[in-house]
Amino acid sequence: MDPSPIPYYPVNEFGPLMKGLVIGGVGILHVFLAQFAIGGGMLLYYFERLAQAGVPDTRKFVDGYFKVLVLVSFVVGALTGVAMWFTTIQVGARTIGIMLDEFHWLWATEWVWFAIEIVAGYAFYRFGPQLDDKTRRRLLLIYAGASWMSLFWINGILAWQLTPGGWLDGGGMWAGFFNPSFWPSLLFRTAVAATLGALVACVVINTMDLERAAKAALIRRASRFAAPMALMPVFAAWFMAVIPADSRQWLMGGSMPMTMFVGVAAAASTLIGGYVVVGLIVKKLYINGATATMLLALAFGATAAGEFVREGARKPYTVRGVLYSTSMTPDEVTQLRKDGAVTKDPYPLRDEARYPTAQLRHGAKVHRALCDACHTVHGANALVELTRTWTDDQMRLNVSKLQRTKGFMPPFAGNAADVEALVQFLRWETAGAPASWPISDTPETLAQIATWLDEVGTAPMGDAR
Amino acid sequence: MWPFSGEGPALWLALYLLTFALHAVFVSYVLAGTAYAFVQSLRRADDAIAERVRDRLPFMLGCGITAGVAPLLFLQLLYQKRFYTANLLMGPRWGAVVPALIIGFYALYLAKAKVSLRVRRLALATGTLCFLFVAWSWTEIDQLMQADAVWRDMYAAGKRIYGASAIYPRLLLWLGAMLSLFAIVASWWASGPERRKLAVLGLIGRAVSVGAALLLVAAGGATDGNAHGWLYLLVAALAVEAAGWVWMIRAPDGPGLTLVTGAGAAALVCATVVREAPRLALIEPARPEALEAAGFPVFAATFVLGVAVIAWIWRAISDAKT
Repeated sequence: MDPSPIPYYPVNEFGPLMKGLVIGGVGILHVFLAQFAIGGGMLLYYFERLAQAGVPDTRKFVDGYFKVLVLVSFVVGALTGVAMWFTTIQVGARTIGIMLDEFHWLWATEWVWFAIEIVAGYAFYRFGPQLDDKTRRRLLLIYAGASWMSLFWINGILAWQLTPGGWLDGGGMWAGFFNPSFWPSLLFRTAVAATLGALVACVVINTMDLERAAKAALIRRASRFAAPMALMPVFAAWFMAVIPADSRQWLMGGSMPMTMFVGVAAAASTLIGGYVVVGLIVKKLYINGATATMLLALAFGATAAGEFVREGARKPYTVRGVLYSTSMTPDEVTQLRKDGAVTKDPYPLRDEARYPTAQLRHGAKVHRALCDACHTVHGANALVELTRTWTDDQMRLNVSKLQRTKGFMPPFAGNAADVEALVQFLRWETAGAPASWPISDTPETLAQIATWLDEVGTAPMGDAR
Repeated sequence: MWPFSGEGPALWLALYLLTFALHAVFVSYVLAGTAYAFVQSLRRADDAIAERVRDRLPFMLGCGITAGVAPLLFLQLLYQKRFYTANLLMGPRWGAVVPALIIGFYALYLAKAKVSLRVRRLALATGTLCFLFVAWSWTEIDQLMQADAVWRDMYAAGKRIYGASAIYPRLLLWLGAMLSLFAIVASWWASGPERRKLAVLGLIGRAVSVGAALLLVAAGGATDGNAHGWLYLLVAALAVEAAGWVWMIRAPDGPGLTLVTGAGAAALVCATVVREAPRLALIEPARPEALEAAGFPVFAATFVLGVAVIAWIWRAISDAKT
């Protein structure tokens, strides 16, 4: 095994897809389905109470809706949760390792709630029609409560990544769990879950064999469940107020892609909220299946944008103040400035024969170790395109002073030879990977890079908190 | 008591092995049950066991996946670097277990629905193949985790399949054990004649496992002596279980099933320890952050609450059935 204290892992590339897109795709689907399961559970409990109070058609709705919940959420929802775990290992094994080391008992607690949720859900699905009213109600309450508790625990762990709060000052695990963004995140996600539950209900009601008036009555009741949406701007503002200042700046205009995603999430949520609150609740309008599906698709878009914002706001870290997106700790960056980025990396390149010089092989390894987590060479967020117009010296300066080039980039975790090898690798790729390429290692060039590295130091731009 | 002694990871190890054993019960029912129902559908047999199995398979898979999350958690505490490295080396071919499970899950729902025999056969065949793929993948990653000598070359070559000689005997050993575990669980819902049939399957499963174990030993496969006596306990439990199966064939409504269940459970726990023994030396030194992590009392209290709630649910649905 590698004797180095820095754990090196083999790196996989996903062709033109950057890793963020891979984990984003899986994560967004999982979050959407998991939040639907939570909101759906709460909505079903509400409808079961209505059914037991004698409100027509509500019992039929409960049984029909639960089938959708089981077939979609219990299968794809549960398994995309497992997929999240595996994908996170692919993208940032050290990140998930640190989270697990710190929070494994809480993760195990979350697992118990998940197990209760699954057992209660299947019991209701299989035996619901045979159960008496009291047992049905209790079972649904257990299901809804357990699914929300599952959110409660996992939310604390995820929120800790962005705002570790008092944990960074040695406050211990609970200070990390009940971190500054814990409550706004939890309340925001609960409101989203209720909204998704209501929107899916509108789709399901439209598939039921009922008169329009009966459907309209059910829709009015289901749409009330989305009312907490009205509070989402408050929770969002609370979230923005507690996240680190530099993250807030990226979201509020400092980074246009991030700001656009904030805008997309806000606009989609406003449209859904407007339709549901004004149209369905206040004006008591009818919603057909097509429109309900469109709103649900819009909600998926809002979830996608929101998750992108949450992930992006953490940059340059995956765990704020602890681990950079390059899977290096701040102390390791200092160490690698002396030792070199890839000196102890035990894994060779898979395509070594492709590179005409040792320096280019070195550069390819530096790219794999330090850039590959967020960039590709030619595909999404391609380094070749981002640097194409830079001069050689401009590229040397920008890479050396990476955290000043873009504030959401981590400090460069290597020495002058690493910078030059990376610069030559990118130039060679930009030139179309010719069969020969000159070596660039003049003492003057390396000395200039070393000066820039020393000038910028290894501290990140943003404060850890 | 070995191996649950010493500081630190002993509790993680105990929880890992116990939850792994629980997971094994559910997934054994799923894989062997799906294959059994598939074979019966090919035979066009009007088989009550197969019908009952098809009805329960989605629920059992849900339980299997849920129960599988816990050992996955503790595995990452014990062998973090090894598990992550093997995961990354196998890459997308490892990630394929998730879509395979999703396809298999829906195939089970389809097999349970009112569909033609042809569609049911197709669904059960798909499910069987998907679950076999997952079992093979787990066997591969389990072995690759321990094979640090090949990591570098495997990465350089871009290989996604480890393919060591021990993999197929190990997989065969597991498939045999799965058949026996399936037979034990299915027998609880079976009538007398059905139990006879399941007892024969249980014995066949154990014979396959023993044969595969011998193959594994002959190939120099992983054993760690007698694993501090756990191997002897395993052999004793298997002998009692075999006697129980024979008793069940002769008197299907007698106490044979209770004996088989007790001995089978003991064999499963012993087997998980014997299986783990060769790689115990590879457990990574516990990281200080993990050792000092708070929250165990919360987990313990939630666990007790969870067991109570699930017991209440079990009682409630049992009352409803009666």
